[in-house]
Amino acid sequence: MIGVLICQIVLSIVLASVFLIRPSLTQAASWKILAFIGLCVLPALCIVGGMNTHVQRSEQTQFCISCHVMTPYGQSLYVDDPSHIPAQHFQNHRVPADMACYSCHADYTIYGPLNDKLQGLKRIYLQYLSTPRDPAAIRIAGGFKNAQCLHCHLGARRFEENPVHAALMDALKSEQSSCLTSGCHDTAHDIENFGHLKTWRPAQ
Amino acid sequence: MKISEIGVGRLLRISSLLVIVGLLLEIVSLLWFHPLSFVLFAFLAASLIGLGILVYLVSLVFVAPPSAANRE
Repeated sequence: MIGVLICQIVLSIVLASVFLIRPSLTQAASWKILAFIGLCVLPALCIVGGMNTHVQRSEQTQFCISCHVMTPYGQSLYVDDPSHIPAQHFQNHRVPADMACYSCHADYTIYGPLNDKLQGLKRIYLQYLSTPRDPAAIRIAGGFKNAQCLHCHLGARRFEENPVHAALMDALKSEQSSCLTSGCHDTAHDIENFGHLKTWRPAQ
Repeated sequence: MKISEIGVGRLLRISSLLVIVGLLLEIVSLLWFHPLSFVLFAFLAASLIGLGILVYLVSLVFVAPPSAANRE
């Protein structure tokens, strides 16, 4: 996919170079059409293709943990303890392993992807132009929403037939009770104690 | 100076240069697997390409074809 996009970019560069060297070629009608393709249509398609590639790339687990402060969060996915919710989801492929971060931290609303990108840019600003936070001190703005759990779990038989879930369903949907902080599934990325925890090594 | 006085040739050159630089930066951003690559693409590469397209469209709309003396 990225190879096709780069070929398209190279073609666009070649066409644009022709008009950089000899702009007078556009006197002829056929060259006018070629100029329109080379200086308008192809570059516009390159922007769309580039944006699409970058957005897809930013959903990958490797992309998220390529940022220095996120490294311990990536390591915590390998904690060998079923009570660690992210690790359990990642290791058992309850979320796609190559999109583990995005699956649980995406804002599943109409402007969610845009909000996610803005949050990401804010973190890049903090990392490079301000004082980077201690990884253990990073908190999700507004807290972790139940909607992100219910996006997958709601409607699942095992989830809905659980008597505790059934009793709390309305409170969970209305965010009055939190999946993570109300005492049920309270161990997420325990990076402060990561050094003392046993880790799982996947078979190669 | 009015836009129409600049001439199609010069505007096409400016447009081509902006598009080429923007596209080269886009290639760099695509081959660089780092959170800053998105910033490079969104704020620099896409802006330069967009500006190049805009200059090209301006050359179509506001500028009359060059006289025979200006032709290369």
